[in-house]
Amino acid sequence: MRMHGELKHEDVEAARRDLADRTLATIRGDLARLIYLASMRDYNTGEYHHEGLAYMFTESVAGKAIAACHRDVFRRLILCSVKELVEQLELYGSTNCSSSSELARIWAKLQPYRVTVPLECSPLAGRLFLSNIKAALAILQSRQLRAHWEPLSALPGP
Amino acid sequence: MSVLSYLLLAVVTILNICLFLSRRGERGEFDREEDGTGHGTSVLFGWDPLNSELSARIFDPEDADFVASETSRGDARQFRQERTALALDWLRAVRGQVNQSIRAHVRAVRGNAGLRPADEVRLGFEFLLFQLASGILHLVIWACGPPRAAKLVGYSLELAGQLRKVTEDVLPAGRQVAVELLEREQERKN
Repeated sequence: MRMHGELKHEDVEAARRDLADRTLATIRGDLARLIYLASMRDYNTGEYHHEGLAYMFTESVAGKAIAACHRDVFRRLILCSVKELVEQLELYGSTNCSSSSELARIWAKLQPYRVTVPLECSPLAGRLFLSNIKAALAILQSRQLRAHWEPLSALPGP
Repeated sequence: MSVLSYLLLAVVTILNICLFLSRRGERGEFDREEDGTGHGTSVLFGWDPLNSELSARIFDPEDADFVASETSRGDARQFRQERTALALDWLRAVRGQVNQSIRAHVRAVRGNAGLRPADEVRLGFEFLLFQLASGILHLVIWACGPPRAAKLVGYSLELAGQLRKVTEDVLPAGRQVAVELLEREQERKN
């Protein structure tokens, strides 16, 4: 019985390494990794699905490995400063949207980052993450406004 | 004589404030559980709230300064308010854990023949000191915001850690198991 438990843990660890090395390593930035990992979660059941990983291991092992990666990435993001989070958002925006200002506008409205919080996360950690993301988005929007007004104010007056 | 009475009065007043704040904190926790928002005081993925990683983030002045320099006054104010609320909730979590340890300790040593009064007095004193420090911390966070309270956080965490160590040290070996069982049962309920 104990051997089975150990074996399962090893399987999860192998699946986790596989996911981290083959897939997550190719994604730029922890925020993009978080979005990717959260997108594999079923909204209704909270379970993760990844066909390739489930084929190589089992559905249950793959689910546990993705959950572990999700927790790791989230933990790294929650411990980074707002300044670092702004950089993460800019990186994510430059690779996934037309611009980071467009990302800030859409994210401020839709708040898709709310569904990226892992299920097992404590409310305190979840609230810290949401507050930091909101602040980072406000900074991006504020920068966008400044960038818009600065050229206008530089124009010579009548 | 008059100096001593003033001193006593000051100590009693501070203790009363701490007791009031502590009870207020517990009530807040209860209210939040009641309103169904689920904003309780559980730990991060089973992280220990006494762990300094999360508190370092919440109390870090760098974030507040950065947000203030980059956004509007309204956004900066909202960020400060959110951080203050988070810091107060974190403090409640730490207090809750210390109170739980003390309650478990009291249950475990009740009726214990091998009780050492000197150790119990030491524990009581440490607990009082922690309540005092966390009460002051609560006031500082509430009045000045988390960045100003950052230095006090380390001291409070140190006291909480000491308190946990003392509860473990004071407990006779057989009773320690009982406390662990009680704590596990509590975790399961949570």
